[in-house]
Amino acid sequence: MLYLSQVLGRPIRDLEGERVAILKDVVIRLGEDDHPPVTGFVARYRRRDFFLGRWRTADFGEQGVRMNTDILDLRPFGRRDGEVLLARDVLDKQLVDVDGKRVVRVNDVQIIEAAGEWRVTGADVSLQGFWRRLAPAGFAGTRRPVEVIDWADVGYLATDAATVQLKSSSDKLGRLHPVEIARLAEALSYHHGTEIVQALNDETAAETLEEMPAERQARILGDMNEERAADILEWMSPNEAADVLGDLPEAKAEELLGLMEGEEQADVAELLPYEDDTAGGLMTTEFVTLPRDLTVGEALASLREMAQTPNMIYYLYVVEGVGSWHLVGVIALRSLILANPAAPLDEVMRSEYQRAHPDDAAYDVAHQIAEYNLLALPVVDESGDILGIITVDDAMEILLPKDWRQRMPRLFG
Amino acid sequence: MAESREAVRAVGRRLLQRGSRGVRRTVARRKRLLAYLTILGPGMITANAGNDAGGIATYASVGAEHGYRLLWVLIPITISLGIVQEMCARMGAVTGKGLADLIRERFGVRWTALVMLALLIANAGVTVSEFVGIAAATELFGVTRFISVPIGAIAIWWLVVKGSYKRVERVFLLMSLVFLGYIVSAFLARPDWSAVGVSLVRPSFSFQPAFLFTFIAIVGTTISPYMQVFVQSSVVEKGVTTENYSETRTDVWVGTVFAIAIALFIMISTAATLHKLGLRVDSASSAARALEPLAGPYAEKLFGIGLFGASMLAAGVLPLATAYSISEALGFEKGVSLSFREAPIFIGVFTFLIAVGAAIAVIPDLPLIRVLLFTQVINGLLLPVILIAVLRLVNSRDLMGAYVNGRLYNAAAWLTTIVVTLISLLYITSVLFPGLLRF
Repeated sequence: MLYLSQVLGRPIRDLEGERVAILKDVVIRLGEDDHPPVTGFVARYRRRDFFLGRWRTADFGEQGVRMNTDILDLRPFGRRDGEVLLARDVLDKQLVDVDGKRVVRVNDVQIIEAAGEWRVTGADVSLQGFWRRLAPAGFAGTRRPVEVIDWADVGYLATDAATVQLKSSSDKLGRLHPVEIARLAEALSYHHGTEIVQALNDETAAETLEEMPAERQARILGDMNEERAADILEWMSPNEAADVLGDLPEAKAEELLGLMEGEEQADVAELLPYEDDTAGGLMTTEFVTLPRDLTVGEALASLREMAQTPNMIYYLYVVEGVGSWHLVGVIALRSLILANPAAPLDEVMRSEYQRAHPDDAAYDVAHQIAEYNLLALPVVDESGDILGIITVDDAMEILLPKDWRQRMPRLFG
Repeated sequence: MAESREAVRAVGRRLLQRGSRGVRRTVARRKRLLAYLTILGPGMITANAGNDAGGIATYASVGAEHGYRLLWVLIPITISLGIVQEMCARMGAVTGKGLADLIRERFGVRWTALVMLALLIANAGVTVSEFVGIAAATELFGVTRFISVPIGAIAIWWLVVKGSYKRVERVFLLMSLVFLGYIVSAFLARPDWSAVGVSLVRPSFSFQPAFLFTFIAIVGTTISPYMQVFVQSSVVEKGVTTENYSETRTDVWVGTVFAIAIALFIMISTAATLHKLGLRVDSASSAARALEPLAGPYAEKLFGIGLFGASMLAAGVLPLATAYSISEALGFEKGVSLSFREAPIFIGVFTFLIAVGAAIAVIPDLPLIRVLLFTQVINGLLLPVILIAVLRLVNSRDLMGAYVNGRLYNAAAWLTTIVVTLISLLYITSVLFPGLLRF
């Protein structure tokens, strides 16, 4: 087993054992392997960097590299796609450890020989790794246990080389909960945070963004390709999407809104006119309405048949009839399930319920939800039409101090 | 069901028109919000954090000892502080990373270790000065430092770890506003304004160790190493990008000028009161006397309140910021909600700084004001290390792209670094070989 720090700066010798260059970097190729193989070295000779392929070397170790040929190809080194330079791109950089769910900094890189191939197996993140590089050679010989992250658990490498992205990033990060991905992305610089979100699939990206502060969501979406940003916006809940659009520059917001699919676009557009600090700005348009002439059984059946069920179905809103938005009552899912399937909704629903007007102050509405122990509150306009609902999650965001919010899990997506 | 969907769509389309108006309205409101935040942006906060216990002590004793003679130093210092702060703020906006991060990623472990060691020593010095400030402030109210310093230290540690420091912070911030009183006091003391004007533009210099000591103390307290780290992190945290960077640049320069203006008025008011009487600042109560034109017999109490607030504020923020940068550079877990077992370096550095600060501040018969000045000198001596790292980073084209320094700007920045380095070397020489620089 080798550490990168032990081989950097070591001599490269030819067949006769003559020093011909200095080892400047180790090149690996990222691919499907969990542990990427070393494909060559960057050698430095008279201030020129050139590539030395793995196949031209006979031996690689603490003594340096020994070549199996006398021919040197002195053409300057150029990085190819999928190639990562361990010293330049990995050492001292941050990476996401999906096993420990944290962002760490690479103090050293572990390379192990197996079946005639050198492979990168892990990133040393311990103080010993830092000390090994800091102390003069010989002093660093302590055999204390080191903390090494398996390379297979590296979900994202925060490096500036644009061509370097782990192909498996999406899969590995996808194993984490969106809350965790958001927290990890926020620990990195915002360029890297953007790359992480881009690596995710649309649905996970949307859920991850929803866990971030609004300004950061806007920055990330604003930096993305517009088509992709619109796709992610469609997956977001309409009120979150409307908030983000409100944080973007006007031209950008209109462009993204225009690129969204009809139905999601309409949902979001409906919410945009409301001010941030009102009930209208807080509400979402994802809720379930049932016409009042259904029976309990029919209502449950229609719930099951819905193509896309909103996250919040614990309250069902009873309206005048099909196509109407006139709110006449509210039913908790609990009472619906427990009620006699043959009973008409009219009899089961509660016609006395808490409600908010879209112009009500957000803080008051949040208070109302907390005071009455509600999971959601319908927002109803002057004519009695239901416009949307405010969930307890969004109310909590108003009521809780900022540093608490990050610790609170969301109840409804 | 299909019909209702169709109806929703129709409503949505209609609202789409209204929607874009809504977007416009929200965007307009954000702009106002940003303009408001500029008043208390990262640049303003950081530059004025320099006016803490060590800062007040330095400016007050310089005014008392040298009168108006050293006022001119404040003009080049304004330019240097502004340039240094602006470079760090710009790096934060362009890279989205903290200074400690960049040093680690660009220069590797050896440089990181050097810079972090310099930062740790400098910040330990400043933390000591904050606890000395707490001691001096409470003793004005007749509370011995053997009681106030340990209680202060434990209270700060507890508040930070429990996460409720943010709320108390505002109280301390309000208390430290007392120092604005120096502006009024400077006017009421009827200084010789023409002498002030002449001293501001006529440099006077000497190679005496005592003079060099004072000079480095002024530089060290105004352009402290921690401020560079601090301003860059706050710019990153605020989410400033290259697009809205111009607001931050304004904020940095306004903050710099404001902070130096306070320093100027402290020097003027002490010069016009204490220096005229031939008094020196050797204790907090003598420093408070410069507030007498404003507050009369209440000067001491007023000064005590301000000093206590400023010292408590910095004694919490500084160890915390140091612990963050060091764990960041070394790549360790960080955060106040973690236990010692989870984040030994973070909690260790934080606790160490508070403990050392408090322990030194309770040494019996400690010459408080002298210690305050001395810690600022350490700052000044370590400043070149940080400045060189900042300059190398900000001029790296693959990091900053088009946002590297301009030629003139770079010249001014390097000049600052060279002058600070030279004076530090001069001071060390003058201390080690006292005979060498006698002119």
